[in-house]
Formats: sequence, C-alpha cells, structure tokens
Amino acid sequence: MINKFIDAIWMLVAILEFLIIIYLIVFKSRKGVDSKLKKDVMENDVDFNNLINSAFNSDKIWDQLRKKCHPDRFGGDEKKTKIAGEIQAEINKNKNNVKVLQELKLRAENELGIKI
Amino acid sequence: MFGNIINSIRGWFSDMSERSKLVNSFNIAARDAYVSGIVTTYLKASISRGDSSYRHQHSHWLNSGFRVAIFNGRSLTKNELVQIGATLMTDQALVRKMVVLGFDTLEVFGEHDEYGLKWPLKDVLLLGGF
Repeated sequence: MINKFIDAIWMLVAILEFLIIIYLIVFKSRKGVDSKLKKDVMENDVDFNNLINSAFNSDKIWDQLRKKCHPDRFGGDEKKTKIAGEIQAEINKNKNNVKVLQELKLRAENELGIKI
Repeated sequence: MFGNIINSIRGWFSDMSERSKLVNSFNIAARDAYVSGIVTTYLKASISRGDSSYRHQHSHWLNSGFRVAIFNGRSLTKNELVQIGATLMTDQALVRKMVVLGFDTLEVFGEHDEYGLKWPLKDVLLLGGF
C-alpha cells in the first residue's frame, strides 16, 4: 500500500517535471527569429583567427599606417594625396581588422611608393 | 499545436548546438593563436547569464551572455579590455550571429572575474534593420 502511494507520488513528480520542461521550451524560450534571416546570418562565417589577432595587434599596425599614409605627407603630388586620402579613410574604417590593415599596407607601399 | 511544440523543441536543440559551435570556434582560434605565438594572452569564451538590462527581443531566456575570460598572468588595463571588446563588437558577422543565437551581452573579464567590462549587443545593432 505504502509502495503504491510512493510510486504514485514519483509518477506525479515526473509528470510535473515533464510539463515544466515543455512549458519552458515552448513558452519561455525566446521568440523565434525569422528562419530566412537566421539562415542568412548563420551562413556568414566569422574569421576568428583574424579576430583574435586583431584584438591584440591591430593598434600597432593602425598607428603605423595612420602616420605613414597621412595625405599631408604627399602635399606636392595631387594623385598621391588623393590615394593617401582614400587609404586613410579605409584605415580608420578598419581600425580593428588586422587583415584589412595589412592589405592596405601593401596598397600603400605599391601605390604611394613608401616603405612601412 | 503539436507541430509547433515539435518545431520549438527542434529549434531549441538546434540553437543550443549553434551556440556551442560559436563558443568552440572562438576557443579553438584563441588557443591556436596563443600556441603559435600570434598573441601573448590566452582567451577563453563561455556562455554566461548575461545582463538582464541588456535584453532584446531575441535574447535567450536564461543564458544570454557571451563571456571572454583573459588568462594573462597580470591584470590587463582598461584600455586593453576595451580594445578586445571593441574588436569583437566591430565584427558585424559575429555580432549578428550572437544576436540571432540569443546573446545580448558581451563580457570581457579577467582570469578570476575580479575585473571586467560588458557591452550590450543591442547598442551596435538595430534589430529592425535586419
């Protein structure tokens, strides 16, 4: 008799637990994100290697490029001043992206004829 | 109704898996960068409770924080913490993924959580602009 009573209590606890889990999953979980939007976002890969590298090394290269590629340094050459202006804008836009900054460094060396 | 429940359960497991994948990818890249000497600080990401005041419409109901712990052997300056956080926050692909997967808080903390900074993801992303 007592065993049956204990079994019934355990069964009740199990049912309650199951109902709580279903409630949490269905009603308390976040509102579903539009599946197409989610698919689009998840398809874009994050370059973690560049991200980690940028977190520690972007400051140094940014500072170096910022000084070397300043348009005022090419005052006598209109074409180079224009290119330097474009590069400078890109440098500031990608301050925290080492990969892009390295590409800009190559571009500056090739197009502005400077050694960085 | 039954179909909705099944979809919710399936979606929940799928999200949990994607969240773990995101954290694991970060940790693998951080470990490789540290081992190969690209960086001198070891970073380790994990999922945390997050900050309830940073909640947005897609926030996970329980664990909505993306916590990055820094293992360096010394206390990092505020500028160093800001630099790490700012780099993560300027990566649009990462921020979008975090938002879609239910994260709302980015936390950058020291080794024993004795100091750190946190950023609300909703500040850098206009959800309506998706």
